[in-house]
Amino acid sequence: MNAQSANPFQRLWSSVEFKLILAWLLVVVLTALLDQGHTYWNNPASSAEMIIRSTVLLGFFALGSAVIIISGGIDLSSGSVIAMSATVFGTLLMFCSPEGFRSGEIPAWAVIVSIAGTLLAGAAVGTLHAWLITCVGLPPFIATLATLVGLRSFSRGLTLAVTNNKTQIDFTNEALRNTLKDVTNISIVFVIFALAVWFLMSRTVLGRHLHAMGGNEQAARLSGINTDRLKWFAYVLGSVSASMVGIIYFADSASAKPDNLGRGYELNAIAASVIGGCSLQGGVGTIPGTILGCLFLRTVIDAVNKIVGTGADVYEGMIVGIVVVLAVTFSQRIGRFQRYFFISPIGRTAIPILGLLAGVSFMLFFRTKPWYDNVYALEAGIAVIALLSLRWGLERRWQRAA
Amino acid sequence: MQLATEPIISIRSIGKQFGAVQALDDVSFDIAPGELHAVMGENGAGKSTLMKILSGVQGDYAGELWVKGQLVRFSGTRDAEAMGISIIHQELNMVEQLTVAANIFLGREIAGWAGLKQSEMNLQARQLLSELESNISPRALVGSLRVGDQQLVEIAKALSRRAEILIMDEPTSALTETEVARLYRVIDRLRQRGVTIIYISHKMDEVFRLADRITVLRDGRFVQTLHKSDTSARQIAHLMVGRDIEPSVRHQLPAGAPVVLEVKNLSLPWPGHSRGWRLRNVSLQLHRGEVLGIAGLMGAGRTELLECLFGASSLQPQGNILIEGRQHAFTHPSQAMQSGIAMVTEDRKRLGLFLHQTVRDNITVCSLQEASQWGVVNRTQEYQAANAQIKSLHIKTAGPEAAITSLSGGNQQKCIIGRCMLTRPKILLLDDPTRGVDIGAKAELYRLMEQLAAEGVAILVTSSELPELLTVSDRIIVLSEGEVTGHFNRDEATEQKIMEAATRQLPA
Repeated sequence: MNAQSANPFQRLWSSVEFKLILAWLLVVVLTALLDQGHTYWNNPASSAEMIIRSTVLLGFFALGSAVIIISGGIDLSSGSVIAMSATVFGTLLMFCSPEGFRSGEIPAWAVIVSIAGTLLAGAAVGTLHAWLITCVGLPPFIATLATLVGLRSFSRGLTLAVTNNKTQIDFTNEALRNTLKDVTNISIVFVIFALAVWFLMSRTVLGRHLHAMGGNEQAARLSGINTDRLKWFAYVLGSVSASMVGIIYFADSASAKPDNLGRGYELNAIAASVIGGCSLQGGVGTIPGTILGCLFLRTVIDAVNKIVGTGADVYEGMIVGIVVVLAVTFSQRIGRFQRYFFISPIGRTAIPILGLLAGVSFMLFFRTKPWYDNVYALEAGIAVIALLSLRWGLERRWQRAA
Repeated sequence: MQLATEPIISIRSIGKQFGAVQALDDVSFDIAPGELHAVMGENGAGKSTLMKILSGVQGDYAGELWVKGQLVRFSGTRDAEAMGISIIHQELNMVEQLTVAANIFLGREIAGWAGLKQSEMNLQARQLLSELESNISPRALVGSLRVGDQQLVEIAKALSRRAEILIMDEPTSALTETEVARLYRVIDRLRQRGVTIIYISHKMDEVFRLADRITVLRDGRFVQTLHKSDTSARQIAHLMVGRDIEPSVRHQLPAGAPVVLEVKNLSLPWPGHSRGWRLRNVSLQLHRGEVLGIAGLMGAGRTELLECLFGASSLQPQGNILIEGRQHAFTHPSQAMQSGIAMVTEDRKRLGLFLHQTVRDNITVCSLQEASQWGVVNRTQEYQAANAQIKSLHIKTAGPEAAITSLSGGNQQKCIIGRCMLTRPKILLLDDPTRGVDIGAKAELYRLMEQLAAEGVAILVTSSELPELLTVSDRIIVLSEGEVTGHFNRDEATEQKIMEAATRQLPA
């Protein structure tokens, strides 16, 4: 490994954060140019608001996820914890003030008690994770896989029980909704939260020990670090941050639908952490990187929304997948070795597959546009195959030269 | 020995650069067919890089490599194996979950139309192993074998590939004395079969016993190739470090120093093992400013003893541990550290270092609380603490912010000692502290122990090398199968006596 670039400018240049900012700017510029509705030009404020809102909502639990990943674990449960928290929040509101819940005029104390109760429930889930991992001895993947599946089912059952067999808890309270829906408010809460987590991870003994445990758990234990307590902290932070998001979603959509809410979000959080430079092996990663990872991911999704138009949420998963692969591929390239993508038989087989994928995706994305023609999709596929074949040819030349 | 005129391997001006580091610079020498050629040098001298090039792991280098009169450039270990070159790495490359036979034939499985021919592979594996005078079962799982047996399986694997040239990278570093003796016999057999062996080692006596010729590398450059008969251990050591090594002089232990640590009848059970215990009735006393050596073969319980004292054993030991007269029973290393014990673990990479982090992080990790207020790290204080250790232990680094991986093994070890020193220990446990450390750095570590002892730290040290223990210790106790079988003062201890005690068995 290279020792250290003494030049601070060079260090900035090679940091994940800097590259992410560049990539982000590129996406913004491309969107501004390619978007036929010109939303960025016509409505900069609302565009920004949308991106910030989605980034912040992802950011809360992505930070929790990042802390867990840096400490050498993994949390698959955040999506289900979001659903559970929304349900628990609704249930608590209902219990604290049944009158107010029906009329929509809930007293402030009930809201505060319910928020506290929900966060406590999040902390309980985190503690449960820590217990399963440190005392029972389950791998984090298994422990949180169990709660990923289990908590959603639990929330659905809870919803049925408290609503007389309805599948969602409905609640309309304008005041609560407006407070928590306002992007400024949640952004302020997020900035405070993010600063706290950043400070914690980079400036405190606890943060240093979390990094150390993620890098080498045995060495950390032998250095006198109480690794069990650290794990407890990381998993509680992960679950509580997801609980905050659950509360916001409940207020925002005025309902809790546990069968669908937050489904698959845990993977977005993990993806954002990885894009932001966290290593799934643990020990490596930064909080600013993770936040930029969230911003980048949400901006790309938003860009595709803008360019493709209606129904683009169908493609969110595809975009996340592609962005993760590209981001990790490019950050790997910093390494010493020149990788050959297409030389081996597997690599050569991948070229037509990628071409086919590109052509079909092109069709899926743009088939409703007035200018669309199947010939374009075919051409897109062929263009991708041609480009990748070009790279293949270059790689063969590099290999021969080496 | 008469050298054949045509070398089997000819290394011509080979150079290799990693970033700013010139790992190898214009190295040229020849290896004759059938000889045992030792390659020596300090850590970082370029031995491993050169072996990586020879075995095809590293394909990108300057210069030329000729094997059996052919100019070659390997782009993988398979290429090298096709030319008859195999390597036995220091850290063995085996799939522990597979059987011995499966490992030997890994990648070249014997198969017919009905799938793997298991019995055929088992048969051939048994033949290969019996040639190495070993009766390891081909059906045994590699993970269940001792390190010495695993190494034999690796050698069998190389033989099954018709290796004519075998590279052995510190093959004895993890072996017991009996296993070493067996390895020597295996090497003799290999040489009778005409196998050329390139042998990398830090151990001088071993090299002088086995080698025909010795090549010394220093700082990536070729220094000299010498016939064993034309040189001496002293000369080789001199060539390796570029200076003579002073034997360290022990200070005189002041009489009547107080007892810091007393262990009475310490036992550690070993459920599920026929012996039933890892340690039994171990008692010892450690005085202020004393260096107590713990000798014993691999598996004698040296590491387990230190782990018990540090609260790091997986099971709770029985018996009494008294520190300055007060009884303790540690269940976590943090408690031991609070009572003034620090430990440097045996396996640096696995149990000691935080490889992603800087030198500073690695030094201060145990004592961050002291450099912080309300849990917030004071960076200036932390920096000063790290810097103080770098200065006092003479750690060679570009600075406290350098990556720990940019340091040599010896300097990494000093960082871990610095980490321990920052907790201001009264008792320092060193588990084989010079393992994988080169000669120059070893001498410095000896001086360091001496200095710490003179400052009043009580040191408990284990080592797999007897001469080392004899050099550094005031007293030596010997463990055999978890029991104390010998106890020697500095002036009465000899290698002979210690070996006898280490192989003695107490009646059950």
